[in-house]
Amino acid sequence: MINSIIQSFESMLNSGNILYNIAALLVYAIMIFIMLAVFGYMFGWIERKIIAKAQYRHGPTYVGKYGILQNFADLVKLFAKGSLDLDNADSLLYGTALPILISLTIFVVLILPIFPSIQATNLSFGLLLVLVVVAFMPIMIFLSGFASGNKFADISAQRSILMLLSYEIPLMLVIVAIGLVSKGYNLQSIIAMQSNSYYILLMPIGFFVFFIAMLAEIERPPFDLMEADSELIAGWITDMSPAYYALVLFLDYSKVLMSSLLISILFLGGWLGPQPIPGVAWLIIKAIIIAVIAVIIRATTFRMRIDRILRMGWMILIPLSLINLIITYIVFVG
Amino acid sequence: MPITKINIGPVHPSTHGVLRLAVYLDGDTIERVEPHIGFLHRGVEKLAETRMYMQNHPYMEKLDYIAPMAYDEAYVSTVEKALGIEVKERAMYIRVILLELQRIASHLFFVGTIGNDLGQMFTLFMWTYMDRDKVLDLLQEATGSRMFYVNMRLGGLVSDLPPDFEKRTLETLEYIDNRVKEYEAFIEKNPVFHERMKNIGILTPEKAMDLGVTGPVLRASGVQYDVRKNSPYYIYDKLHFEMKILTRGDNFSRYKMRLLEMRESIRLIREAFKMMPEGDALGMPVKLRMPPTKNKEVWISREAPKGELMMYMVADDQKPYRLAIRSPNFVNLSAIVHMSKGLRLADLFATLGTLDLVMGCVDK
Repeated sequence: MINSIIQSFESMLNSGNILYNIAALLVYAIMIFIMLAVFGYMFGWIERKIIAKAQYRHGPTYVGKYGILQNFADLVKLFAKGSLDLDNADSLLYGTALPILISLTIFVVLILPIFPSIQATNLSFGLLLVLVVVAFMPIMIFLSGFASGNKFADISAQRSILMLLSYEIPLMLVIVAIGLVSKGYNLQSIIAMQSNSYYILLMPIGFFVFFIAMLAEIERPPFDLMEADSELIAGWITDMSPAYYALVLFLDYSKVLMSSLLISILFLGGWLGPQPIPGVAWLIIKAIIIAVIAVIIRATTFRMRIDRILRMGWMILIPLSLINLIITYIVFVG
Repeated sequence: MPITKINIGPVHPSTHGVLRLAVYLDGDTIERVEPHIGFLHRGVEKLAETRMYMQNHPYMEKLDYIAPMAYDEAYVSTVEKALGIEVKERAMYIRVILLELQRIASHLFFVGTIGNDLGQMFTLFMWTYMDRDKVLDLLQEATGSRMFYVNMRLGGLVSDLPPDFEKRTLETLEYIDNRVKEYEAFIEKNPVFHERMKNIGILTPEKAMDLGVTGPVLRASGVQYDVRKNSPYYIYDKLHFEMKILTRGDNFSRYKMRLLEMRESIRLIREAFKMMPEGDALGMPVKLRMPPTKNKEVWISREAPKGELMMYMVADDQKPYRLAIRSPNFVNLSAIVHMSKGLRLADLFATLGTLDLVMGCVDK
């Protein structure tokens, strides 16, 4: 039955009728949104449990079995609270930056090839589009922090631009190397090219650089400078109203999913894997492994300083990604 | 760039209490920091003038709630000195053991909070707090309370150590010793920690002495000053321990100093247990009327976990005419004004963290 649904869905997507296409895309977008919400919810719980384990705690246990409903209770609490009117904020910019940020994240997940058969669009420049949209995210954070009129948010906004300067270039260089190997930036063909060997084996340096840059991209520790609680209280979300803060949490988790999906598609072969398990499951498993590694890093490491991140970006990541590019060129093209 | 003033505290995740810092920022670099204190001021010194000696006793521990035993002991010693009461031999040993256990507990707390200040999501804090609880368990066994002991009495203690206390303490110390090694590995194998701590917030020995900082902060700057060595009290001159000195005076050596001191404290306790004589350790029961003393001026100096704690008392008939407390935290806090010049904003909190402040003690 599921197969027949998928097939009819596929035929809707591929049919020439534009109305059918739009309808199918909407359904797909809603599906992706639900997937993000479910993953975000589950990931929030898993993260709390893993960090609790690392700290000899139990984590949430009280609401629901194994505390699985704890995040839901938190959500209800957040939405039940009153909202905050900010005097200094530019309300238009402040109100729109976060929703735009969330829609950008959903857009990225939308154009990633998650199911082997269904894809919203199969662009020849899919990876480049992902990179462009991802690069917009810190800019939206900057606008949100800048517009809130809070000094802590302002400092956090400035930091987001500095972070952008430090990791965006290595990210691009790694993507160029991937483009060289797979002769194009089509995400489907990138996965298809990995059927012999995953890119993590072909360019381990590239994977390393990409993973670190992606951690910085999604503001995970040790690069969570924008929400550095020891100095900036909460950075760009200091003055957020509770309902908006719930959206920030959703954003945080969906960014983790986005980046771990991206990493598993680019380096771990996406849906490729031994047959009896469906491809989507393989992709999700790989993404979860990446996300859990990010959580373990969060539980153990100290936060870096902004000038050190810039230094690391320019003195370590850029040379490494250049080396990766050169090696890739020599081995696969030259 | 224009100077931005940001106001940090009094309620802030990493000011270790209610400290307000007015920070003047030039971009991300700190131009100057003004600490504003007094949010936890309770007027203990003035209050002491209205109460009798042993009525004041419970107030003193509330100053430093991370290491209350040091204040407990210091106040009782001041009164003992004013009234000319001798401390029993066994009680001296027990006091030293309890004080050193308290020092370990206090330093464990420090090691945990430094993780928080460097943005490490409470992992280190939970670990050290778990171990601190083990030390507090021992103190609870010995005194009956986990936090505010009120355990000292004039000339001795409320009660002798419970049976088998020595065995359990030595076991716990063995455990803490291993754990300290683990922390050292966990923290110092992390390159980010070195990056964040080394050569930051440097306090030169001259400046440290000018500012009057004491305790681990001073010794991390390379000044040989420890009250336990320089003017020994109780049995510290009979025990063998080293005064550890580090020379760089940066955040890293201030952190390292605490680990080294914990090891020395463990050594001290082990030795004190071996040398401890049998006998009576009980102090005088609490009574309000004391033998009369007129205008007797006394002061004592003690090595509290945070630094040199001094108490000065002018004894009146039945109560202090004047009690002045030199709190180590208050003096150490003043160093942040000097140390923070030119630091990055993020490093301000690491530097503040390495001073190991307790605001209750700063504000008195």
